Amino acid sequence: MSAIDNTAELTPMPPMAINWIGLWTLIRRELSRLMRVPTQAFIAPWISALMFIFVFGYIVGGRIATIGGHRYIEFVLPGILMINIINAAFLQSSSQIYFQRFLRYIEEALVAPFSYVEMIVGLLAMTVVRSVITAIGILLIGAAFGATSISGILEFLFWIVSVAIIFGLLGIIIGLWANNFEQLTMLNIFFITPLSFVGGVFNTVHMLPDWMRWIAWANPFFYFINGIRHSMIGFSEAPELLGAGFTVTLAVILAVVVWKLFSVGYGLRE
Amino acid sequence: MTIPAVCISHLTKVYRRGTVAVEDLSMTIAPGDFFGFLGPNGAGKSTTIHCMTGIAKPTSGKIEIFGVDAVKDYREARRLIGLSPQEFNVDTFAKVTQIIDWMGGYFGMRAAERKARTDMLIDRFELGPHAKKQFRDLSGGLKRRVILARALIHDPKLLILDEPTAGVDVELRRDLWRYLQELNRDGKTILLTSHYLEEIERLCRTIAIINGGKIVREGPKADFLATGDLEEAYLAATGAEPDHITGAA
Repeated sequence: MSAIDNTAELTPMPPMAINWIGLWTLIRRELSRLMRVPTQAFIAPWISALMFIFVFGYIVGGRIATIGGHRYIEFVLPGILMINIINAAFLQSSSQIYFQRFLRYIEEALVAPFSYVEMIVGLLAMTVVRSVITAIGILLIGAAFGATSISGILEFLFWIVSVAIIFGLLGIIIGLWANNFEQLTMLNIFFITPLSFVGGVFNTVHMLPDWMRWIAWANPFFYFINGIRHSMIGFSEAPELLGAGFTVTLAVILAVVVWKLFSVGYGLRE
Repeated sequence: MTIPAVCISHLTKVYRRGTVAVEDLSMTIAPGDFFGFLGPNGAGKSTTIHCMTGIAKPTSGKIEIFGVDAVKDYREARRLIGLSPQEFNVDTFAKVTQIIDWMGGYFGMRAAERKARTDMLIDRFELGPHAKKQFRDLSGGLKRRVILARALIHDPKLLILDEPTAGVDVELRRDLWRYLQELNRDGKTILLTSHYLEEIERLCRTIAIINGGKIVREGPKADFLATGDLEEAYLAATGAEPDHITGAA
C-alpha cells in the first residue's frame, strides 16, 4: 500500500433534514442492479404483455363483439397493463429487500444515516420507476396494435403510482418476512396471480354467472383494473371514487405496517 | 473534560430467541486511542459492535459516540463511525468503485467529494488495477481492502474493524498494520477486534477482554504485559486452560 498522502478534505456535512444524496444513491444503486438483469426486469414483462395483447386482444378479440363501444383489444389492454405493473412493483421491492438481506448488504444502509422513512421511500421510489418503465413499454406495444388511448392522464398516473406503491409495500413486507426463495414467491403464486386474473382483465363482471359476481366485487384487483380502464377508455363497472378511496386507504394501512416493521427492525436489525 | 470516543453504559442485548449476547457491559474508549477488543468466539464482540453501529438494537443501556447518543441521535452518531465488518456484506456483483462510491452517497457526500475520496482510497489500497472488477472476482485480501476503503469513504472519526486481517496473507497483514497505525497517528480512534494476539499487542494501547457477554478485564496494554505475555493474560481472563492450549500433558 502506498504511503499516506494528504486526504481529500471533506466539507462538513450539515445536520440533515432529509438525506437527499443518500436517497438518490439508493435509487441509482438499484437501477444499476436492474441494468445487470434487463431481460428479467423489463424484456420478460414486455414479451409477456405482447403475447397477451396479440393472442387475446388481436386474434381472439377480433372475433368478439365490442364491449361498451370499445374493441376487445382496447378493453383488455388496461388489465394487461395493470397485471404487469402489479408484478413489476411486487417483484422489485420484494426481491430488492430480500437479496439485500440474503447477501447482507442491507447492513450498508443500516449503518448509514438513513431514517426508516428514507429507506422505505428509497425502496418505493425504485418500485415506481420500474413500474413506470414497464408501463411505458406496454403502452408502446399497445400503440403498435392501435389500442392505446388515455382519456384522463392524471387519473391514469394516479392508478399507476398508487398501485405500484401498494404492491411495493406488500413486496417489502414479504421481503422482510421471507427466509427462503419459496416464501418469497408464495404471495405471487397464491394471491397476486389468481386474483389479478379473476379481477376483470379479460371479462366484464356482467359476463360472469350471477353467483360469481360477488367474487369480482370483493376482489381488490377488480378496482385497480376498473380504475385504470376508466382512465384509458372511459369504461367503468364500479364507482371510480369508491375504488380510489379504497386504494388510498389500503396504501396508507400498508405504509403504516411497513413503517412499524422498520421501526422495530423486523427482518432488518438483529 | 474530554468527551470519550465511545462510552457504553450497562449495555445488554438479548436476541429474540432469548440468547443473552451482552450483559450489563460498560466500557469507555478515549479519543485517539487504538483499542483492542478481545474475546473468544460468541463472547459478544460483534454484538457490541452491531449495537454501536445500528445493525442490532440494544435491549437496554446507553451508547454514546463522541457524546452523541447512538440510539436517539442515530443519524448523527453513524456519520462518526466507519465499520469494516467481519463478514463481507456487499453486493458481490458490484464493482469496486461502485461499492465505495455508493457508501459515500449513503453518507450524503456530494459527487465531487466521493470521486476525490474514492480515487484516493483506491490509490492508497492499491486497488487501481481492480477498480472495475466485480467484488466476487477479487482475492480474499483484495476484498478485505475494499471493505476497509468502504469504511473510510466518509472519513469517520471512529473506525471499527471487526477481524480485518482474518484470512489475509502475511504481507497484506503487515501493510494493513502500517496503514492502521498511520490512521491512528492522524487522529482516528480505532476499535479493533482480532483473534491474532500478536496483532493486538503490536497495534493497541488499550485492551478489553469480553467473555460471556461481560467485560472481564480492561486496561492499558502495559498492565496486561506486566506479569507475562498477552496470551497468558487473555487465557487467565477468559478462564481457558493454558495447558490445553499449549498441549502440555
